[in-house]
Amino acid sequence: MIDFHASLFEAAQNVMSLMFGIDHVSKSSTENFMAGTEIDISVGVVGDYEGELIYRFPEEVSLKMVNTMSGMEVESVDDFVTSAISETANIISGNVLTILADNGNVKCDILPPVLQLPADKPYSIHESCSVTSEIGNIYLGIRLNTAI
Amino acid sequence: MLWREAYAVGVPLIDSQHKELFNRVEVFMQTLRSSVSWEEKVYRVNETLDFMKGYVVEHFQDEETFQKRIEYPGYQRHKAIHDSMVSYVLEVSEQYEKSGYNEQLMQQFAGKLMAWLINHVAVEDKRIAAYVTEKGVTLDD
Repeated sequence: MIDFHASLFEAAQNVMSLMFGIDHVSKSSTENFMAGTEIDISVGVVGDYEGELIYRFPEEVSLKMVNTMSGMEVESVDDFVTSAISETANIISGNVLTILADNGNVKCDILPPVLQLPADKPYSIHESCSVTSEIGNIYLGIRLNTAI
Repeated sequence: MLWREAYAVGVPLIDSQHKELFNRVEVFMQTLRSSVSWEEKVYRVNETLDFMKGYVVEHFQDEETFQKRIEYPGYQRHKAIHDSMVSYVLEVSEQYEKSGYNEQLMQQFAGKLMAWLINHVAVEDKRIAAYVTEKGVTLDD
């Protein structure tokens, strides 16, 4: 049985630790994720499964992430910030697929990140979680159908 | 500061080149993100971009030469990752020049490059160091 939910969280944990030096990361229900002003990103998935990985980075969290990476004080979301966060989503997505390949023999590839969430449609696999750390909460979701 | 000691992989040759690479990327980013108008800084942005790009290519080549010398088993995969980033840098540079030095392109490029570089050093390059340690490779440099 492939644990998509665990793969999502493990990938986020890996990236938070390696890229941001944040080792204490927990997951919680997405009910704890407060919708506000966010950078929404979707990363398409193709291969054995087709669908998307979904990310919602609150602006405040995004700025903390970019400031940590850059060592600069960036005060507002602009093209530099959205591009850095998109690449971070891309990296987490690569991690997710590596974990799924190693643990579930899933063969998939990712597409370039897109700065918007796609329209909802029926998915056979629909998992999400809120990842919590010292910099705030990030929403992660995975929506897939088995490829025909 | 862009460089952090946590990014060190423990191989002096690679770490010293990484510090130089991070320094050049930082200078490029600081120039790009300075508060003066685009018209006032575009020449300096282009200078720092060229200086940084040149070193990206040089560092990747040196790192690949090092990997072949130590018979690193992940060499082909690592080289493919480098080649992909070099292609992206060249493609963006071409678009940037054709656009007449569009600022938005550079801001997007800088954001992606920064995140990519940090992840690449923290994950992929650390694998080289793990191999060096595991195999007891002797480093002449």
